[in-house]
Amino acid sequence: MDPVITLNAVDYAIIGGYILVMILVGYSLKKYMKTSEDFFLSGRSLPGWITGLAFLSANLGALEVIGMVANSAKYGIATIHFYWVGAIPAMVFLGIFMMPFYYGSRVRTVPEYLKLRYNEATRGLNAISFAIMTILMSGISLYAMALLFKLMLGWSLTGSILFAAAVVLLYVFWGGLSSSIYNEVIQFFLIWLGLLPIVFLGLKEVGGFAGFVAKLKEPLLHSVKYLGTSANPLGVDWFGVVMGLGFVLSFGYWTTDFLVVQRALASKNINAARMTPIIAAFPKMLVPIIVVIPGLVALLVLPEFSQTALPAADYNSALILLMKHYLPNGLLGLAITALLASFMSGMAGNVTAFNTIWTYDIYGTYIRKGKPDSHYLRMGKYATVFGVAISVGTAYIVQSFPNLMDYMQLVFSFFNAPLFATFLLGMFWRGATGWGGFFGLLFGILTAAVHYLLYRLGVLHYASDMAANFYQAWWAWLADFVVTIGVSLFTAKRDPKELVGLVFGLTPKPKAAARWLARPAVWGVLAIVIAIVLNVIFW
Amino acid sequence: MNDKIETKDQATGMGQGHVLDLKLPIGWLLSAYGLLLGIYGLATKKEMYAISLGFNLNLAWGILMLAIGGSFLLTAFLKKDKAGS
Repeated sequence: MDPVITLNAVDYAIIGGYILVMILVGYSLKKYMKTSEDFFLSGRSLPGWITGLAFLSANLGALEVIGMVANSAKYGIATIHFYWVGAIPAMVFLGIFMMPFYYGSRVRTVPEYLKLRYNEATRGLNAISFAIMTILMSGISLYAMALLFKLMLGWSLTGSILFAAAVVLLYVFWGGLSSSIYNEVIQFFLIWLGLLPIVFLGLKEVGGFAGFVAKLKEPLLHSVKYLGTSANPLGVDWFGVVMGLGFVLSFGYWTTDFLVVQRALASKNINAARMTPIIAAFPKMLVPIIVVIPGLVALLVLPEFSQTALPAADYNSALILLMKHYLPNGLLGLAITALLASFMSGMAGNVTAFNTIWTYDIYGTYIRKGKPDSHYLRMGKYATVFGVAISVGTAYIVQSFPNLMDYMQLVFSFFNAPLFATFLLGMFWRGATGWGGFFGLLFGILTAAVHYLLYRLGVLHYASDMAANFYQAWWAWLADFVVTIGVSLFTAKRDPKELVGLVFGLTPKPKAAARWLARPAVWGVLAIVIAIVLNVIFW
Repeated sequence: MNDKIETKDQATGMGQGHVLDLKLPIGWLLSAYGLLLGIYGLATKKEMYAISLGFNLNLAWGILMLAIGGSFLLTAFLKKDKAGS
């Protein structure tokens, strides 16, 4: 099969230039990796603008971008719910209310917080499940990337897998989390520069927003208006979107997923840590520009997606087809580099999350305690090597089991929603006990799994898979919340002296910054207000 | 967890000292891309730009990227001068 896109020497020069910069950045950070804290947490030295942009980019992976363009073509403007309702409140909440406990407690990982706040069993459950899932996800995205480039560009599958793995291994081995973060910030600029040309050309060709209104079916143009009705493209009702996506799924991901939280922990002080997700919230609100607009444009300009017939191609190919449709060689190379950058930094993010949790929460807790710091730094480097090796191995297995990708996303979702309940109670209710936390988390995960099975078996009915997903998250969260409280009321309480810095009410409040403009609360409220206004404009 | 610096070696880790200023790699990369795309844009014929609706997007975007990359480099060097290193 012929590749969809042909690249020329200029395109390859652009791609090559980026690879070179990634490696050089890793190399120049090498000499600063003196302690395990340098390697896993950037020495807690980074300014808020860097951790903020990295926080956002860690989430803005290539699969996310491609998938959201596809969703926009499928569901229209309602896709913005993933960005506004489905992200902004959670990001602001994390910064204002949860960071004082995450950063203030000096924990190095998410599971470590669970150990201090609850007990060892809770930490173990989270650490082991997260480590396994994150390294598998790394392999799965590696495969997805290789497959995409094979189909679209004709690159060798094995070649892409090994090459990408080698580059990521090199710069993470040398520079740890800092390499990952610096490359994510570069990725942020490349994504915007690579994809904006499509937005401009697309809007010009369809005749601007007026063109959308004139040519697209009504329900595709509204984010809120059709939610309660049968014309609803998302197939999810009010409650599902607000509580499922807006509250549980979104908070579950943004506030507990170590891949993003780790970036905030790398900040240089508590104020920078609190500002990290809030700084990220502003560009996050703008991401629909490069994701929703192209999706709608695809419906109007690509012959494969003409609205009268069923789509002739998978919605996931919309973005690549748009690139082919609009971009001359040169800019085409830039757009492909932006995708490549996102794929690779996604893999690097998974590998750094894995090597940190492995070294601190699994190896340093269950296998070899009490060694000097240099021992753990070395372990971290080894973990990087075998983490990448596992990723490559997984990428090969996924070839034979392509559905594995969807199953992984699914399994991840079993864990995030309940974990949020565990954190919520842990940080804001001093009565939550160790075993309460453990059994709550366990029951939440099981509820999610059982709900999924019942839906698949046809026992539970929902309007769409997405609705089922949102409600599954809601029920899992509720189960965790209720069981945690229930078990906590009957088990031994923690000594409040041990909980200082971990719970609201037992922690001194961070001193409010003197300058009004430096306060996270001010910017957080501004972000929420803008998000509400945007929702009203596009309702 | 001991946060204190234990050896003189650790004094030059991420937590202290001058670490790579991120504005530099971003600045150099975007400027290089800008130059490459701009020159390529000047060197190529009009027909290539039919798909981009007639705009010589390589040239236009190249100039934009050169400007952005240049401003990053400028801010990085001005800061260095101010610090008097």
